Amino acid sequence: MIQTEATLAQSDVSELDLVKRCQAGDTEAFDALVTRYRTRVFGMIYNMVHSEQDAWDLAQDSFLKAWKSIGRFRGQSSFYTWIYRIVMNVTIDWLRKKQVKGGGTEFDDAIQLTQVDPASRTVPKTEALPHKAMERDEIRVRIEKAIAQLSPEHRAVILMKEIDDMQYHEIAEALGCSIGTVMSRLFYARKKLQNLLRDVYENV
Amino acid sequence: MKTFEEKWTAWLDDQLTGSELSQFEASLPDKAAAEAEKAGSKKLGELLKRELSAQPLANEEFFSHQLRERIIQETREPVRQSTGETATYRWWTVPRLLWVGAASLAIFVVFTLGVMHEKNPAEESQYLTQILNARVDPVVSPNATVSIFEVKQDRVTVLWTEGLQSLPADYAAK
Repeated sequence: MIQTEATLAQSDVSELDLVKRCQAGDTEAFDALVTRYRTRVFGMIYNMVHSEQDAWDLAQDSFLKAWKSIGRFRGQSSFYTWIYRIVMNVTIDWLRKKQVKGGGTEFDDAIQLTQVDPASRTVPKTEALPHKAMERDEIRVRIEKAIAQLSPEHRAVILMKEIDDMQYHEIAEALGCSIGTVMSRLFYARKKLQNLLRDVYENV
Repeated sequence: MKTFEEKWTAWLDDQLTGSELSQFEASLPDKAAAEAEKAGSKKLGELLKRELSAQPLANEEFFSHQLRERIIQETREPVRQSTGETATYRWWTVPRLLWVGAASLAIFVVFTLGVMHEKNPAEESQYLTQILNARVDPVVSPNATVSIFEVKQDRVTVLWTEGLQSLPADYAAK
């Protein structure tokens, strides 16, 4: 679906042309860029915040911010990497504010495996759940809970790497940090998720 | 110089090659455990990709419509602001600024001179004389005069009366 959108848009007009038209104030060109990336942006934000409504609002805010600052885009990176940087800034800021308001337990990387409720095991070795859909829903909830225990920065790197197949340097550019930092964050994010989800990926 | 975490991550993602790869693998204390960890990491990646990548955006067209509305709204507001700023800017033209400056200076000079004049008693008589007629009845004492001489510097006041037939009954010097 995403690739279809992107492919169609790319066949019509090149990304750089669209950006140039946006910089000249052409809202239709920006609309075309939004159409090209809205699903990917929304999906990434959703995986970060786990709320459809919040993901919608944050995606809106991100695109609006992109429109306001499109004049500063110099084409040194791809438009997608550039907009990802905006998306990540907006989303991480939002998560941090939410963390402050909510008491800050959500992203506590110090939470140990022993604190994870053993009753939350959702992947039975026997056929306890009747429907595959329910099983998948529970797996998804389990994954979301595990991701919610990561800090916003760790979430961002693991999702960009594993879901969007982004390269280290692209992630570094999107997050405004070094490649070494990206690799280090990936190391800890993977360790944490492997500890939390080992029973899921070993048994599914 | 890469840290262990960086090398490990690169190894998991098959990004280590050549001598770097062989050196890293040689440095692993338990290669079998590391390989198991690597396999687990691959499975984790596959799980995340399978379960998280299909989150559709419902009402895509409405999303774009709402964004367009917000952009139009945002575009209008700065125009309004800039119009207001231009109007303010136009009022403060250079000739107007000059006139306002000159008028302010003139007011300041007049005010300063007035204050300085009031505060300079040296030019006044040393004795401030007040002639009081209010309490002297012209019928009873037609030629009466009452004068007060006041020396402010010494804080002395002299009441000087002339031609009084008698002091009024209700007169009381305080």
